[in-house]
Formats: sequence, structure tokens, C-alpha cells
Amino acid sequence: MARIKTTLTREQYLKKFSRAVRWRLPPQESEEAIADYRELIFREERDESKLVEELGEPVQAAHLLTDVQTYRRWLTVFAVLAFGVFLLAKWAFMGHSSFYFTFAEQWWYPVWVMAAGLVLSLYWFRRHGQKNGTTSKWLVLALVVVLVFGVGTMAWNWHVFDSSFLDGYAEVYPLVIPWQVILQRELIINGGVVCALIALAGLILAKCYDRRWLALYTLAVTVAAVCGFIIFFCRSIDIGYAIRSSAQSYLFARLIPIGAVGLIGTGVALC
Amino acid sequence: MLKKDLLELCLLQLLAGGDKYGYEVLTPLRAAFPDTQESAIYALLRGLGREKYTEWYMAPGGGGPDRKYYRLTPAGRDRLEELKGDWRNMRDAIASFGV
Repeated sequence: MARIKTTLTREQYLKKFSRAVRWRLPPQESEEAIADYRELIFREERDESKLVEELGEPVQAAHLLTDVQTYRRWLTVFAVLAFGVFLLAKWAFMGHSSFYFTFAEQWWYPVWVMAAGLVLSLYWFRRHGQKNGTTSKWLVLALVVVLVFGVGTMAWNWHVFDSSFLDGYAEVYPLVIPWQVILQRELIINGGVVCALIALAGLILAKCYDRRWLALYTLAVTVAAVCGFIIFFCRSIDIGYAIRSSAQSYLFARLIPIGAVGLIGTGVALC
Repeated sequence: MLKKDLLELCLLQLLAGGDKYGYEVLTPLRAAFPDTQESAIYALLRGLGREKYTEWYMAPGGGGPDRKYYRLTPAGRDRLEELKGDWRNMRDAIASFGV
């Protein structure tokens, strides 16, 4: 079957090439290659309609410049981090894990994943990432949105796990689930999944544009882990009187340090 | 010798004739090897830089913005001699078959 020849404008070609090369090459090399290709593409002698024919497909051109070993190392790191994000999304959605360790309660699993993700990603991007211009306003906006959601979810859980609220409701409506609890459940399930997806986006943007986008990954992973922690906790306990009276202090004595670690990680990623 | 080695030989030989910017290297090579895309030649040029056979510097070019010029390093000259030796051996070997 004959191959269909694609035609691209100079801008389209450079955009596709830049995207591919930033994903595959270390930052400095990718910027050099983009600068060289910009010079080649925008030469007056260049016939735009023959761009692909003369230079090759943009992804293929990026592939030719790829150092296979370096690229494989990055793919391995990305696969590990992406798997962690997948687990956080799955746990937030399902509310339980399919594997068990006898030495720790299940609600700690999201925290382990978050800790491993933070350490690996910060180590990798501090060594191999590169800042690119000033901090993007979109990054700031995304961080504010995730932070507001995270703090809001924590505040709502503080309210829901208040023993006076739970006791009062249990006495008046023993068989009805309060709307506050339904909202809390929806918040942590959907919020956990969405934050996991945002974390993945942050990771990709950190590789392709500016390593400071890793701050979005660290913050979103922290919020997803917090959501996972809460939902595992809720599914694992029997809300009897003894639990109701101590759940809030137990939960927040752990959630606050976890959140603080995430915020420190976010600060480090931004520096 | 593979086609890649032949391209490398020609590229190094071009640079042995004086420092050149990217397009000055790509154009004659593309004319000599029309079935080879410029991206492949450019990748080879970058590969030679990684191997320290070439290095680059920025210099004013023709009234426009600064251009990136490539030049041979001593290691590149050694590599050129090595490739020339390989080429002569292969040419003689082929000639011995009456080709």
C-alpha cells in the first residue's frame, strides 16, 4: 500500500518536532536540536511543501537523534511514576487494594506510593530536568486549584469526622447516611482520581517544557494519596462509638504530616 | 563499510576543507545521497559531536543572525584518516573482483 505523504507548514513541523524531541532527549540537547531545526526549516530556500520529504517525519527525525540508553532510562522512570499514579487512581476509585501486607494497615499504601514517587521524581528532575523561562501562570493556577481542593477536602473531612457531628446524627437518624458523608465520599473518590490524572499531566509537562511543572505532580500526588488514605480508612473501620470518638484525631494526626511532606516536596520542585 | 560510514567519511572530509554551518554541510551531502533525508545527516552530525570528532561555535553569518559553525577536532582528523583507510581497502577489494 502506498504511503500517504503528509504536508506540514514550517510552524506545524517545528511544533511536532519540538514535542517529540523534548520527550526523548535531555533538556539541553533537545533545545540545541530545536534551535538547529528552526534554522534549517526557516531558510528562505526551503520549499515548505517538501519539508517532510526532505527532512523526514518530525517524530522520525526526533527518533534519529535519540540516545537509546538515556531514553530507556527515562521511560523506565516514567513507567514507575505512571504506575504509582495509576495505583492511586485505582485505590481512590475502588477503595481497597488487591494486595495485602501483614505489617501495615492498607491506608498506608497510598502514602508509600506518594513517598516513592516524590523521592524518585525529585531526584530525577533535579538531575536531568531544566528550568525554562519564568514560572508559567498556568502552573500557578493549577497549583492553586489543587491546593484549594486539597485543603477543602481536609476541612470537610475534619467536619465529618467530628465525633459530636457523627454521634448527633447517629442518635437522630440511625439508618440514614448524612448528606455530608455522601459528599465527603464523592469528594475523595472523584478528587483522588482527578488528582492522579493531574499528577500524570504534571509529569509529562515537567519533561516536555519546564521541570517546575513537577510541582503539580508532587502536589496532586499528595492530594490523591490523602484521598486514598481517607477512603481506605473509612472502608476498613467499623464506625462504632469508640472509633467515632477518636477517628478525627487519629486521622488528622497522620494527614497533617503527610500534607506537610507533600508541600515541602512541591516547594523543592518549584525551586 | 556501510552507507552510514560513507556519509560520515564525506561529512568529515567536507569539514576538513574548512569550518561550515549546518546547511553548508547538509546541502552537498543531500545532493550526493538523494535518498537520504536531511534529518539522518543532521543526526549523524550530532553523533559526531557526541563522539568529540567535531565541535561547534557561534559566529556571524552573512549579515543575518549568528550561525552555528562546525569544525573538526584532532580526534575527528584521526577518524577521517581511519575511514579513508577503510574506504581504500574496500575499493581495492572490490576492484580485485573486476568491478
